[in-house]
Amino acid sequence: MANRRIIIGDKEYQIPERLLSLGITPVLGIGFFLWLATGFYQVGPDEVGVVQRFGKVSRVVQSGLRYHFPYPVETVNTPKVTEVKRIEIGFRTVGKNQFRTVERESIMLTGDENIVDAEMIVQYKLKDPEAYLFNFVRPVLTVREASEASLRTIIGRHGIDKALTAGKLMIQEETKTLLQSILDKYDSGIQVVAVQLQDVSPPKSVIAAFKDVASAKEDKNRLINEAEGYRNDVIPKARGEAQAMIREAEGFKEARMKRAEGDVAKFNSMLKEYKKGKSITKKRLYLEAMEDILPGVEKFIVPDGEGGNLLNLLNLTGKESGGKK
Amino acid sequence: MKKLGIALILLGSIIFFSTVFIVDMTEQVVILQFGKPVKTIKEPGLHFKLPIPIQTATVFDNRLLEYDVPPEEILSKDKKSLIVDNYVRWKIVDPLLFLQTVQAIPTAITRLDDIVYSELRRELGTHNMSDIITENREIIMKQVTHNSKVATSPYGIEVVDVRIKRVDLPKENEKSIYARMEAERKRQANKFRSEGEEEAQKIRATTEKDKTIILANAYKESQQIRGEGEAIALEIYAKAFGADPDFYEFVRTLETYKKIIDEKTTLVLPSDSDLFKLIGNR
Repeated sequence: MANRRIIIGDKEYQIPERLLSLGITPVLGIGFFLWLATGFYQVGPDEVGVVQRFGKVSRVVQSGLRYHFPYPVETVNTPKVTEVKRIEIGFRTVGKNQFRTVERESIMLTGDENIVDAEMIVQYKLKDPEAYLFNFVRPVLTVREASEASLRTIIGRHGIDKALTAGKLMIQEETKTLLQSILDKYDSGIQVVAVQLQDVSPPKSVIAAFKDVASAKEDKNRLINEAEGYRNDVIPKARGEAQAMIREAEGFKEARMKRAEGDVAKFNSMLKEYKKGKSITKKRLYLEAMEDILPGVEKFIVPDGEGGNLLNLLNLTGKESGGKK
Repeated sequence: MKKLGIALILLGSIIFFSTVFIVDMTEQVVILQFGKPVKTIKEPGLHFKLPIPIQTATVFDNRLLEYDVPPEEILSKDKKSLIVDNYVRWKIVDPLLFLQTVQAIPTAITRLDDIVYSELRRELGTHNMSDIITENREIIMKQVTHNSKVATSPYGIEVVDVRIKRVDLPKENEKSIYARMEAERKRQANKFRSEGEEEAQKIRATTEKDKTIILANAYKESQQIRGEGEAIALEIYAKAFGADPDFYEFVRTLETYKKIIDEKTTLVLPSDSDLFKLIGNR
């Protein structure tokens, strides 16, 4: 077998004559098959394949091993359609549970010309892969800019107190609606999954004043509670005292009645006796009473007729007297 | 002879490939014949033209394009200065017109910037600051978009959306807003505290009042009860003693003596009194 010597540069190659006699046909053949083989592609479970034939969309295929005619006849894009993408407005996640505020994005004017610091997360996914691929440029930037514009528009419609407290949910919903309408206007094929307001707070330089309002509210409640406490202490005591007064009076009444009844009972039984022998009983009662009274009493008994002349008694008391003659 | 054949094939394929071209989904093409536009293709797919150098294809983007306008200081109707940051979404709708008037995207953006900026400035100049910030922002944007659309249509451009991303106040105005916010909150805090004291005072005063009333009512009731007791007692006495008033007087007088006469009392008794008449008559 004869070899042909071929010199390329300063290298010398020995190539069998037979191979050369085949010409370039096998090279072309192998090349053709390799070219055909570039048409195999894989569509992941979270993707769809959008195949373009000569630039025009010819079909959209689901996940699996797929084939398209090789470039330049057909090309394929495999956008992730189930993946939910996330954009942060007003802050960036810089590490695990670490965030950095972006004040340029988060500081905004409210409807009553105050300023708030608002942070938001926007989640979105593709609802129309064709529109997403071919209708507009720079999808991430587009969503970001539209989100910022939406949030500021909506915050601009509401007052600061609403934005800081009760209106959060409403602002979230309105922002979502507006953002979706903007993205639909761009025919972007993007669906807003969720808009979440993270943190809406007063700007740093005035936050102390806002916190003081909260503590003032607490103070108000505390003052009222203390007063209520005082009331709860005083009123039952007063009621107790009132009940005591009434019970005492009732006791007095009962006692007064019973005493009267007792006195009457005694009187009645005495009267019964008295009626049996009037003068005797009277006398007896009188004497008994005197027996009771007189033993402890200093007494003077003066003779008849002199009962009215008290001057005679002055000595008897043993006291100083200027009346004696 | 063989070499000539190869050369012909080569030439043929060059000519063939310059007649065939692909228009992508994102593209639109203007065909020029010796520099003169003859055809606009917006339909994606495989297309043919006469070979170079007779016809050439110029490709333009078919997609919605982006332009972020740098922030500008704009005066509102009430002469307040605002820093407005907006963006524009636009597309080439008439590539031929586009090619004839602005040729390429960088020139187009310069033109777009001029138009949008002046429209924005004009429109914002007819509104007060509070309107721009609050309710009317969207109406203003719609108006600016509309006006810009009209103004850019001679360039084969359609302005789809002009949108304000941010409206901020210059730094010094921001400071005065902060000062106002702080003052407002202080006022609120003071109000809450005063209200608290007011409420508390009210409650305490009401408490004192209620206490006084409760005790007074109790006094009233207890006096009534006492009175009733006295009345009943009187009635009982009167009924019983009425049976023999003389005897009652006698008994009651004796009882009274027992109570009022004690060891400090000095009694002077005449010897002819009932009790001592025996002594005197001796």
